[in-house]
Amino acid sequence: MTPGYNELDLPVTLTRPLSQDQRSRGLPMMSDSDAALVARTLDGDLDAYAKLMARYRDTLGAYALHMLGTREDAQEAVQDSFVRAYRALRGCRQPERFGGWLFRIVVNRCRTMQRRLKRNRRFAESLPEGVPANGDAVASLEWREEIARALGRLRPHYREAFLLRYVNGLDYEEMAGLTGANQAALRMRVKRASDQLRELLRDVHAS
Amino acid sequence: MPVDHHDRSGDDLLQQVVDELRQPVRLDATVDATALERIRRMGPPADSRWRFRLVAGLAAAALAAGLLLAVFLPPREALSGLSTARAVRLRLVAPASSRVVVVGDFNNWDPGATPLRSTGRQGVWTVELRLKPGRYHYTYLVDGREWVRDPAEPPAPESDFGAPTSVLTVS
Repeated sequence: MTPGYNELDLPVTLTRPLSQDQRSRGLPMMSDSDAALVARTLDGDLDAYAKLMARYRDTLGAYALHMLGTREDAQEAVQDSFVRAYRALRGCRQPERFGGWLFRIVVNRCRTMQRRLKRNRRFAESLPEGVPANGDAVASLEWREEIARALGRLRPHYREAFLLRYVNGLDYEEMAGLTGANQAALRMRVKRASDQLRELLRDVHAS
Repeated sequence: MPVDHHDRSGDDLLQQVVDELRQPVRLDATVDATALERIRRMGPPADSRWRFRLVAGLAAAALAAGLLLAVFLPPREALSGLSTARAVRLRLVAPASSRVVVVGDFNNWDPGATPLRSTGRQGVWTVELRLKPGRYHYTYLVDGREWVRDPAEPPAPESDFGAPTSVLTVS
């Protein structure tokens, strides 16, 4: 094994833990107030559910956007997930872990939507808002477009594994619990996704 | 396992990709509003116990229907979903190995899904798959640690950048 690399030849720097802020944007940290809001929702308080939706909308939206490639599809996936989660809320056995439970619903929803989307759809819409004005920023925007395009060319389950591991910062045990795939398969998917992204983006980045 | 020794710049590249993808994304707040509207029309959350009974009832009905179809339909029609699948035999010579599995697109790269069977002759391992027409990337995992490409099929183009894989084309 090469020093500085893990057992699947992934650079260890990529596996470093996310900061608290990044992690809270990845798989949301659970809190007592989630449980309280779930309880109030079950008592008929829809304002409480609105607060839960607002809390998790952007975190889930980021995942859905990178997974599905367009803002429109991401919004549909998140909206459907909110409705499905509400319908099944009595089945949420650990309301203090509502965020993780909801994230699982979004992951499944993205899988379902992915199956009905055509392959290689336009991914340019998955860009953060704000069109830059100067030259550096334009180059940055083009780089983001290339990333989105490359991500869109990965097989969906490679893309899913890559996002969960590196962008959402989950470990393989969490990923296995979330996706139902075993850890060895997930490691392989992350590796293949990483290899393919390197290959797809190397020339773009060099130029 | 082959190691990508030659291109450390690819790691900086991936780190930049990850950093970019971790940038915040803002969805339109109308997502919540529309969801809430749908929820209001829907009424209170379902009681999961009743939902479970409903699902169990539907599953039982589906099972009964399936049994009826299996009894009354001719076998060819009953198996029409598999009619396009082809039998493919994979074979690897791996003497002195105690376990060989194949992982690939056809089994979601699951090392537990498709073990090969030793024929007992000259280290030959084999397995038969039923695959629909298409192209499949795959590789063997020998004794849980060594990735071995199938020499009988062409290598995948990206093999230079990771575990060696082959491409199987089923027509």
